[in-house]
Amino acid sequence: MNFLSSNSRIGLYALLMMYVTVSCSSMQAAFSEQAYQQAVNLKVESLNMMNEATQLYELHEEKVQVLKIELQKAYEYAKSRPNNSESMRQWEIMIDPDGSLLGGFISMWKERGQISSTMVEQSKGNIEEGFDIIMELESGKRKP
Amino acid sequence: MENANLKREIMPNFNDFIDQLKSNLVDHARQFSDDVKDEFVEDGKAFAEEAKEDLKRWTQLMAEDKLTRDDFEFLVKGKKDIAKMEALKQKGLAKARLDKFKNALLGTVVNSAFSVFGDHS
Repeated sequence: MNFLSSNSRIGLYALLMMYVTVSCSSMQAAFSEQAYQQAVNLKVESLNMMNEATQLYELHEEKVQVLKIELQKAYEYAKSRPNNSESMRQWEIMIDPDGSLLGGFISMWKERGQISSTMVEQSKGNIEEGFDIIMELESGKRKP
Repeated sequence: MENANLKREIMPNFNDFIDQLKSNLVDHARQFSDDVKDEFVEDGKAFAEEAKEDLKRWTQLMAEDKLTRDDFEFLVKGKKDIAKMEALKQKGLAKARLDKFKNALLGTVVNSAFSVFGDHS
């Protein structure tokens, strides 16, 4: 009876060790409160900045540069986290100066000097949606 | 003789464990795959509907000269970028769900093993 019990325990421990080893490798980064809050703050700051785009870019250039640095920080933080390629790529798309979201909007504002109120409103729709998607992915990650 | 008796006693326990584990795993997999499939389909439909509404509105605004052709192109390209971000989100969430499934799998294996091999003395 004791020998049987001992064999069962050995089998049990072997199975546990095997599955602990397998389960230790995660496919996706854990949720980061810092990343989530960063996205929330940058969404608010970016949409507010876009409201100024009906005015001359040169009047707001300094504030735009500050925002661009913060956006770059968010991208670099996403890039630094292991198993976080989807979030990193999302930020890349959002801030790409040759793209058609926030980075592209800033480039367009600089090039044109100012942007019509209609275009500002319609662009805000896309960019707000982009930030929401970033936050939805972050909030869907497993809690640490 | 002793080894034969021992073998007869051990094998049913392992067979019980495998049967119980199989049953629990099938239940888990079914639950996860149904949930994931339904949510992806709903998300995809909602996104497509919203994109359609945006395109209709921008076309109308361009017809009214409230948007230039360049504006329209920028917005449409922006919508394509949003679609890429959405696809990345779904991919990331699928990975997160797989992690969750793996953890549930670990729990199932442990529980199944303890229920069959646990100390019954």
